[in-house]
Amino acid sequence: MSELALFIVRAGFLLVLWLFILSIISIIRADLFSERVLSRVVEKNIPTAVSSPTTGLTNIADFSSAPESATVVSAMNSLPTKLVVIAGPLIGTDLVLDRREIRIGRAPNSDFVLDDDYVSSQHARIQKVDDGWLLQDLNSTNGTYVDGQRIGAPVSIKRDMQIRIGKTTFELRG
Amino acid sequence: MAKPKRVRVMPAKRNLELIMLLFTFGVYAFALAQVQLATIQVLNPEAWFFWSVPVVLALGFHFLLRLKASDADPLLLPIGFFLNSLGIVMIYRLDLAKPMADLDRTVGQRQVIWMAVAMLIAGAILWGIKNHLSLRKYIYISMAVGALLLVLPLLPVIGKTVSGAHLWVNLGPLSFQPGELAKIALTIFFAGYLTSRRESLAVVGRKVLGIRIPPARELGPIAFIWLASLAVLVLQRDLGTSLLYFGLFLVLIYVATARAFYVFVGLIMFVSGAVIASKFMSYVGGRLDGWLDPLNDANYSAVGGSYQIVQSMFGLAHGGLFGTGLGGGLPQIVPLANSDFIVSAIGEELGLVGIFAVLAMYLLLVARALRVANAHSDDFSKLLAVGLGFVIALQVFIVIGGVFRVVPLTGLTTPLLAAGGSSLVANWIIIALLLRLSDTLPKAGTVN
Repeated sequence: MSELALFIVRAGFLLVLWLFILSIISIIRADLFSERVLSRVVEKNIPTAVSSPTTGLTNIADFSSAPESATVVSAMNSLPTKLVVIAGPLIGTDLVLDRREIRIGRAPNSDFVLDDDYVSSQHARIQKVDDGWLLQDLNSTNGTYVDGQRIGAPVSIKRDMQIRIGKTTFELRG
Repeated sequence: MAKPKRVRVMPAKRNLELIMLLFTFGVYAFALAQVQLATIQVLNPEAWFFWSVPVVLALGFHFLLRLKASDADPLLLPIGFFLNSLGIVMIYRLDLAKPMADLDRTVGQRQVIWMAVAMLIAGAILWGIKNHLSLRKYIYISMAVGALLLVLPLLPVIGKTVSGAHLWVNLGPLSFQPGELAKIALTIFFAGYLTSRRESLAVVGRKVLGIRIPPARELGPIAFIWLASLAVLVLQRDLGTSLLYFGLFLVLIYVATARAFYVFVGLIMFVSGAVIASKFMSYVGGRLDGWLDPLNDANYSAVGGSYQIVQSMFGLAHGGLFGTGLGGGLPQIVPLANSDFIVSAIGEELGLVGIFAVLAMYLLLVARALRVANAHSDDFSKLLAVGLGFVIALQVFIVIGGVFRVVPLTGLTTPLLAAGGSSLVANWIIIALLLRLSDTLPKAGTVN
């Protein structure tokens, strides 16, 4: 190979290496950027009184499944506001979802204490994420069930989904 | 009511991953072709084996992710593949530089096969572990497994000594470094243990001179880990491994408690332990002398002295800013150029620019791990992700720092690059666990 060709190949390889790195960095940048834009939009829409009931609205906008038409209008207004016990010893009890995180378990310092032998002390938690509520099983012994299915990874929960923990079944309302 | 706003949409993660993987496949083919043209002047069908096996594996892993972890980080697999394939290229290139009579000209082929084994194991782990939180049940088992793996090389019959360090285990024709897997088991244990102890480690204690000193019983575990890592140093004669375990523990305890006290005390303990050990063990002392004054003739010609590091320095100087091009240098002069000193081979042939590219890759890999840690909301996941990221970060610092004379040279493998099966298996398992951790992130509504 001639000197010039060799030089071009050498320089070309280093160039390709750095192109790869730069494309990774541009992906990371896009990733950070898209996230920031979204969270800012959502923050603007946080209503002052979260607990005010807003009935008749459809489910929250799901950004990931309907990206083309996804709008954030009233995304927060349509969020469920209460966690209601629909079956079990505490039937009829409700908890207003006025904080970012609700811990459910047998431990006395949980936000929702369930005195039930089938419930672990730190059993599950519900967290507020940008577009709704996320249910996460905290590695409990007997599991957390959503519509009869034991969950592994955190799942996004909506109205009409039945969440069962031990002898208690919950639903999001409001 | 706000105006309707379009949400910025990223291409689906897995498609992004596929695009980046195709990019790395191209880079890999380019590198293999360059090596063959520069060393044997023809394109040999051998390159087809080197290229196709890893490519098929990576595509298989990619489709496994589509099925089993579709929300996992899209960059971990391409970065891991990139580093691993660059390592294979350098190892193959060093094989070609060996004389025909040399029996050991198949290190490259073996590396490809180990990569296959490693990716299959990593895939099985990704398949088997649906939720990393289940690992929390096994923290004491993983402590026991980690300790057992550390002790294995010291046992008679199966233990094997290579250049003074007792790190290998003989399994028939294969030898294995169980310490590589121990680091994963210990990361899981440290993460689980610190998750349950962090409150008491962080809050309790009285203040002396503005520094909160934890009560003595809370220092027990730290003293235990310190003794264990000194035992590794003395019994296995390996400074790098011992530094890695202790460093990992200090990183995690700092992340768990946010108290610099532990880091200071830990570093003082480790340095004083190592200094005392260097007085009694010629191995450690020799490494220190070779680091401080490598060009001194006494150190240069000593057995286990600075010959290797000096050859590597000459090689790096030969490479300069842009390198000699793949296949254009003489990296084979450095002993162990395909394992401990693979960065020096890369530095000679790709130059400072290439070395920075490799370091940037590691930086991005660790940054992804830290991002996963940051996005998780529970302590165990956070600590596990930080721990797995820092296993790679510390190892890169200790090895590459050793080759470049930033720290004394120690025997650790360069993650994903260096020849060696155990290290590849361990690092691909780390990548699989990080992928799992990134898949179970609480979703924020965006694609990432």
